Amino acid sequence: MEIDDERPPASPAESLRLIEQERAAAERGLAAHPMAFFGPWGTAWLVGFGLLFLRFGPDGRVFVPMPPWLPLLGLFALLIAAAAVSGYVAGRAYRHIHGQSATQGRMYGLAWFLAFLGMGTTLPRFADHLPEAEAGLLWGSVAVGLTGALHLAGSAIWRDRWLFALGAWLILINILGTAAGPGWHSLVISVAGGGTMLLLGTALWLHGWRR
Amino acid sequence: MSDELPELDPVIHAQARLRVVAALSALAEGDRLTFPRLQEILRMTAGNLSVHLRKLEDAGYVEITKTFSGRNPTTLVCLTRRGRLAFDEYTAAVRKLLEPPDVH
Repeated sequence: MEIDDERPPASPAESLRLIEQERAAAERGLAAHPMAFFGPWGTAWLVGFGLLFLRFGPDGRVFVPMPPWLPLLGLFALLIAAAAVSGYVAGRAYRHIHGQSATQGRMYGLAWFLAFLGMGTTLPRFADHLPEAEAGLLWGSVAVGLTGALHLAGSAIWRDRWLFALGAWLILINILGTAAGPGWHSLVISVAGGGTMLLLGTALWLHGWRR
Repeated sequence: MSDELPELDPVIHAQARLRVVAALSALAEGDRLTFPRLQEILRMTAGNLSVHLRKLEDAGYVEITKTFSGRNPTTLVCLTRRGRLAFDEYTAAVRKLLEPPDVH
């Protein structure tokens, strides 16, 4: 587009229109698509915790017979895939921005990694002493609580109200699900956690993903 | 009443440079954007964008730095504090012009 660049905008209204147009284009061009994050994570939680519920239901019920390792492996694989996709997308989207935001993003990504590394290496010490159902609940509740807390921290970094709401919501449903007990926790996290992420991602997408 | 019309900064009051400054104003403070990405966002040719960036740099509104990312030279662009202020003032002035005049 070769416009007559030196020409002033035709009117103050035209100036304002140009400003808004280019700011919106820049914001869209600089941020990653919301579904790139909420899509894989929401799917991983919805399907992964859903499988757990179907195999390890409340009071030891088995709704769908499958080998016990299958839902765990499924959840684990989906979570790794989600982490890989969102890491790749974030890296691509923010590759063109240097400076403070890049440092913040790197530290935040590392915070997730270290938090879950700590969880993965400390929980087995306790899980080994618990009945199978309680051990599963321990893993699930600590992982969801940690995710909620990290979303809350992220919301403070980017002053993102939606991320704050999501973090607070995850912590709330984690408390309720844990109180309800093994089996129920998986169902609550699958539907109210994974489902909410997919809905939130879709809503932000449809509304032009402004913060 | 001193209802003088605000003067519009001639550096920014040109279509191309207004678009450049507006796009750069969407960056968080302390961030720099690569030249090719800015070009993509603005849908301008490299030559055209360079010309306007140089004028904005001469006015002290943008800072252009060259660095290496790996082995590739990269040009980074950002608004200076002065540029951000000039853009804010321009926006305020334009909004003022759009306000309905006082009727006495």
